[in-house]
Amino acid sequence: MVMSLFASQEPTNSIEWTVFLARKYSDMFLQGTYLTLYTAVIGTLVGFLLGYLIGMVQDLSINPEDNIIKKTLTRAIKWICSIYVEIFRDTPMIVQAMIIYYGLRQANVEMTPVFAGILVTVLNTGAYMAETVRAGIGSIDIGQREGAFAMGMSPVKTMLYVVLPQAFKNIIPEMANTFLTNLKMTSVLNVIAVQELFMAAKTAGGNYYKYFESYLVIAIIYFVLCFVFNKLFGLLEAKMQGDEDYALAVEYMDNQ
Amino acid sequence: MGEAILSIKDLGKSFGNHEVLRKIDIEVDKGEVICIVGSSGSGKSTLLRCINRLEKQTRGKIYFHNKEVKDIQKDINDYRSKVGMVFQSFNLFNNMTVLENCMLCTRKVLHISKEEAFDRAITHLKEVGMAPYINAKPSMLSGGQKQRVAIARALCMNPEVLLFDEPTSALDPEMVGEVLSVMKELATTGLTMIIVTHEMAFARDVSTRTIFMDNGYVAEDAAPEELFGNPKNARTREFLSRYLAG
Ligand SMILES: Nc1ncnc2c1ncn2[C@@H]1O[C@H](COP(=O)(O)OP(=O)(O)OP(=O)(O)O)[C@@H](O)[C@H]1O
Ligand SMILES: [Mg+2]
Repeated sequence: MVMSLFASQEPTNSIEWTVFLARKYSDMFLQGTYLTLYTAVIGTLVGFLLGYLIGMVQDLSINPEDNIIKKTLTRAIKWICSIYVEIFRDTPMIVQAMIIYYGLRQANVEMTPVFAGILVTVLNTGAYMAETVRAGIGSIDIGQREGAFAMGMSPVKTMLYVVLPQAFKNIIPEMANTFLTNLKMTSVLNVIAVQELFMAAKTAGGNYYKYFESYLVIAIIYFVLCFVFNKLFGLLEAKMQGDEDYALAVEYMDNQ
Repeated sequence: MGEAILSIKDLGKSFGNHEVLRKIDIEVDKGEVICIVGSSGSGKSTLLRCINRLEKQTRGKIYFHNKEVKDIQKDINDYRSKVGMVFQSFNLFNNMTVLENCMLCTRKVLHISKEEAFDRAITHLKEVGMAPYINAKPSMLSGGQKQRVAIARALCMNPEVLLFDEPTSALDPEMVGEVLSVMKELATTGLTMIIVTHEMAFARDVSTRTIFMDNGYVAEDAAPEELFGNPKNARTREFLSRYLAG
């Protein structure tokens, strides 16, 4: 009994196997966790930037009084953006990963699997966020913009200081959701040889033909990651909703 | 007459083939307080929105200090920073405190220093009695308080002309008074004001000139004593009698 703690014998049941694999390949699982987080975090953040950019472009209105060049250009950019959004929303991420990685390789573009994985995540996130941002901007009352325009704020400044911060606050839950989805979706990137968690489980399990136990290890890791982030986002959101109280500035009270 | 600050010449505005403004000619001199009255749908809001360039007119021109207001974004921004507007629905920035509302545009449009923007904000918030509320968000204020902040925010720009589109129409009756008294006070400072209102008593007492709009036209444009006491136009008489009746 004491001997089995030192794992010199073969494990005898699933629980022992799970512990055994987790210990034996702890470096690989840690490395996988790191790459999963790395790809998800960078991919999501850059994807958000892209999504905001495209969402704002899609919100541009075409002013009938503008000159023909400006009108055509705006139309063309909006058209390209909506094609991009459609394509990425209407195809599976795993297929996008293959096409982008092997397509670029065929075109002699050198890149590491991790870079390709991040690129796929960015493009995928961008397409979904663009729609979310557009809807978020659209939900802000037009009076907010007019209030700024009426005092000489340019459309760009109005967007940056008045509309976007409000839209941003409204879509925080959506952004949290997107990040959690990405954290899980990076598992498909094993098809282009990114050494993330899924790949780690596949390798570890393959060595002993213990797939159930090995995937159980990463299921627990995914669960813990998502659970923790979910709680963190919940706290963040509560904090942002918070400060509905204000103190009267007593130093100016005498004027009342 | 004094010097014309705004001239509206032969202004027309259609939405599709619905002609909302037909032929508007108005000269506004410095220091005038002009009230615009008229029945619902006569085009009063559209006229103010054209003056502030939130709508583009389909005909005619607007001159500011005898210079045409051109259709270039930079010129429009510049013009709007001098011809401000106060809305029926306040349009305070919901993501900012009262103080931030009053400092944003002076900082980002006029590019004045933080200290000066703060001083201006406090000065004007004091004028409207809202200085103690600098840390409040708009959602925590009553309608009357919001509108007073909106007026202070507009004043921070040091506008030459201030447009008001029914500033008290969205307010509960008991809050109308506090906003009207702020505006009454403002009218004595020499600020040029154009006010669309349904408050006839206010228009009669405060305006230096009253305009009655009907169906996209300026039907009557006269001193308030004239317009309310001895209206020349049949439509004006009809409108006023309807108003006084109920
Ligand atoms: N964006 C728009 N598109 C189409 N029609 C419009 C638009 N804005 C205003 N109108 C129409 O123009 C007419 C005049 O509207 P406006 O708001 O200027 O009237 P008003 O005199 O301000 O009325 P009220 O006293 O009710 O505020 C109305 O018939 C309205 O339906
Ligand atoms: Mg109106």
